[in-house]
Amino acid sequence: MDDLVDRDGGADQQMRATWNGFDAIDTGLLIWSHDRVLVYINDGFRRSCDIPVKLGMHYTDYVAAVAHSREWIIPDPDEWEQRTVNDFGIAKESDYQSAIGNFMHVAQRPSRDGGMAITFTDITAVKHNERQLREAKETAEATDEAKSRFLRAANHDLRQPLASLKILIYSCAREEDEEKRAEMLHAMGVATSIMEDLLGALLQIGQLDAGRVQPRITSFQLSELFDRLRIQFAHQAQEKGLRLKFVIPAKTVSTDRALLERILSNFVANAIRFTEVGGVVVGCRKEGRGLRIEVVDTGRGVKEEDRVRIFDEFYRGTDDRQPQKKGLGLGLNIAKRLADLLELQIDVRSEVGRGSIFSVWVPFGNIWHSDISAEANITEAVAGEFAGTPMLLVEDDDFLRESMTQLLLRWGIDVRAAANETEAIELVTNEAVSPRLIIADYNLESRTGLDVITAIRAAIGADTPAIVVTADAEPKVVASIRAAGIPVLIKPVSPPRLRVMMHNLLFEPELLRQTPDASPTSQ
Amino acid sequence: MDDHNQAIPIGSMVPLTGPSAADGAEFRNGMILACEELNARGGLLGRPIRPIFADTCRQTAQEVVSAARWLIEKHKVHAIINGYNIGPQNSEYEPIADAGIIYVHANTLLQHHDTVMSDPERYFGCFMADPAEYWYGPGFIKFLSWLRDTGQWVPNSDRIAIISGSTPYSIVIANAMANAAASFGWKVCFGPKIVQTPTSQWRDVIEEVRATNPAVLANTHFYAGDLAHFQRQFGEDPMDCLVYLQYGAVHRSFIDIAQEASVGVIVSSIVGLLRDEMGKRFEARYRDRFGVGSTATIGCQSYSNMHHYAVAAAMAGGSGPPGDFEQNRKVAFALRGMIYRTVHGTIRYHPDWQAVVPYPVVTRDPSLGMPHIFYQIQDFRAPLSMIAPEPYNTERFILPPWMSKSRLSAQPAQTDRRGLTNIEQQ
Repeated sequence: MDDLVDRDGGADQQMRATWNGFDAIDTGLLIWSHDRVLVYINDGFRRSCDIPVKLGMHYTDYVAAVAHSREWIIPDPDEWEQRTVNDFGIAKESDYQSAIGNFMHVAQRPSRDGGMAITFTDITAVKHNERQLREAKETAEATDEAKSRFLRAANHDLRQPLASLKILIYSCAREEDEEKRAEMLHAMGVATSIMEDLLGALLQIGQLDAGRVQPRITSFQLSELFDRLRIQFAHQAQEKGLRLKFVIPAKTVSTDRALLERILSNFVANAIRFTEVGGVVVGCRKEGRGLRIEVVDTGRGVKEEDRVRIFDEFYRGTDDRQPQKKGLGLGLNIAKRLADLLELQIDVRSEVGRGSIFSVWVPFGNIWHSDISAEANITEAVAGEFAGTPMLLVEDDDFLRESMTQLLLRWGIDVRAAANETEAIELVTNEAVSPRLIIADYNLESRTGLDVITAIRAAIGADTPAIVVTADAEPKVVASIRAAGIPVLIKPVSPPRLRVMMHNLLFEPELLRQTPDASPTSQ
Repeated sequence: MDDHNQAIPIGSMVPLTGPSAADGAEFRNGMILACEELNARGGLLGRPIRPIFADTCRQTAQEVVSAARWLIEKHKVHAIINGYNIGPQNSEYEPIADAGIIYVHANTLLQHHDTVMSDPERYFGCFMADPAEYWYGPGFIKFLSWLRDTGQWVPNSDRIAIISGSTPYSIVIANAMANAAASFGWKVCFGPKIVQTPTSQWRDVIEEVRATNPAVLANTHFYAGDLAHFQRQFGEDPMDCLVYLQYGAVHRSFIDIAQEASVGVIVSSIVGLLRDEMGKRFEARYRDRFGVGSTATIGCQSYSNMHHYAVAAAMAGGSGPPGDFEQNRKVAFALRGMIYRTVHGTIRYHPDWQAVVPYPVVTRDPSLGMPHIFYQIQDFRAPLSMIAPEPYNTERFILPPWMSKSRLSAQPAQTDRRGLTNIEQQ
């Protein structure tokens, strides 16, 4: 052992206890004599620093060893070495990060005899806590700012569908044509769902500010998205007397569908807002490995000096004299922020007095991965062979009428139910129901199912296919129905049998006549 | 009394006579091969498996229900494992549900979803081992769009004509095609027009289609012979359009009748033998067992269903005879939970539908779905060319010989003065 300080030999018990104590502490300790020779190294130093030092080494050699050891991250080792050599005997302290990521606080103090002591304290945990505190503070501030932003943006974006809704409600209240009213109610439903989506999107924007939005990139067709935009803006454009046209591309794109819709929705809203004459066209052009979606308007255009700042928050054009009609200047900012998040390029070209083209570029997607609407929940109600088929059900038992209606609805049938002949005739005459099939109970209150079918056929003026269901399996009854050429099902009706019979009547009447299974009685 | 040394009876309802007899023979072959392989390895937990076949003839509801009852009542089968029966409309589910046994079929019908979901407790044992026919519709539209978007084919318009057969299967597929078309930039210019099938007379409807000048003509009827006549009649004066024929055109009998006229036709199947090593080894075994005239791509359906069932029953600790609901529920649980890669892709049952999920139209992960495979007849003397989807395809699409060669290479899309594509010229 070549220690200059003899811990075990010359020193007395008290000194040994002192050295042992220094070794026990976590802090590393180096002590230098007045002639810059290292005279003491404690165990704490050896444990915390992997720097090659030994007793008796000169301070200059120690500094060189630290500078070039690569144990600590020192940006300019030569400069650091020179500066540190000159700092011998001066009180100072610094923090260093080690190569493995720990933080070390290094403090040096002069000793009374002209030498120096240096301590090495691991402050990794302290630094970690400091960072966490700082991040928490920043998040809190961002959330606070996000709340304010959210309120401003909500006010701005919800105005669009609200305006549509107001127009629709006003028009709907006065509309007498049932078909047009149904159309308006549908559009109102769409506007409401758009508001719902908007609130969701705005919440996302709040989260965007707080850095919490995770885009969900999928491949999809633009047609549905364009259709939603058309429904959202058609009435507003119509109110202003503007043409609004969507040219639907036959291409698959890959991005976040909801966020892209928000971008385009802001472009279209903006285009309608700043266009008084002419119209707005939304279309696409192929550009590189993607599509540039363009919203083209014949509005007043954007001045060149405004074009740079037009995507800034709350920015409005320099000659915008009607702020109450022109929004808060948030829409384009939202579009830009969303595009940045999705790494999509947005652009504006404009000519004052002629119009503007706002555009966003989206990459092509994989068509095989393209979403199909409602794909997750395909049922017979939307895609079965009977989907949308109008049918008339006559059944006087409330419970059976309801359960049969539910079954037929589940198969996608447009079923209209009547409790008796009067109600059935009412449906086909006054409500213009044109059934492709009639299902009638045999034992109705005052009439037989056969009578009712005959009356309905007369009212329609067509020999509409029909099925009689009966709880009465009496051979004479069944024979009488068969004699009328109408197939019979015995209650309780088996759904698969009903299905087969309906299919044959609607699509393969030949089969009904040929097969012993389908006609005339099935159980 | 169910003796543990006795063979386990497994029923199979197959059309051994009637219009689907060719398929029925292959389904029977598939069952035989699967049972032979399983028995050679010790059977199901030591018990041999005995397949029992019931002829479903023309596959009407009455015939299939009678077959199910005969298998359950006379032979006490523990399960019924099939290929497909088109006609029964799920009426065979009733005796099977009453008996509480397992039923695995490839009926390819959307109504399976409806029936199972209407009463999952009752129909716990009913499984459809292939995707519903519905998926043919959007799958086909995606395929067409893929050809178009990748420049492999430049259509002369966005018009599609759809002819449907009169079975529920054909009608659902035709409607699904029509529903999906607009989303992918296509317009249905004709149909779906339902033609009474079976028929070999297509000239009238072909002439009606001609008046609409489509870029694509799809026929969703599926009988091989009928489709062969369709293709021959189309070939008498072909239109400048792609021709897609439903499933039946994968059959050798289609090509045998249509001959040269078949070249260029596109056909697809949501159950098709893959051409990887696993598929090729199966095909070789199948041919060795049943001769060169056999069709492994049909037989693989019942073969896979039988193997999958046997693995599930072994996991469950054994099969259950009619009435043993408890044991068969365990088998059903194992079937539902197991992702089973077989010679024609993956059988993974949707937890609610108890039907297989198709790839790529529903799942994007080929390891989780059964591939919807598109073939093209490129040489009528050679096997069909498998042209989509990745990663299973082995060949590329070629322009059918009757079509105009002028659009063989992609042309720039039409643009208006602003450069917007696809604007109609007014």
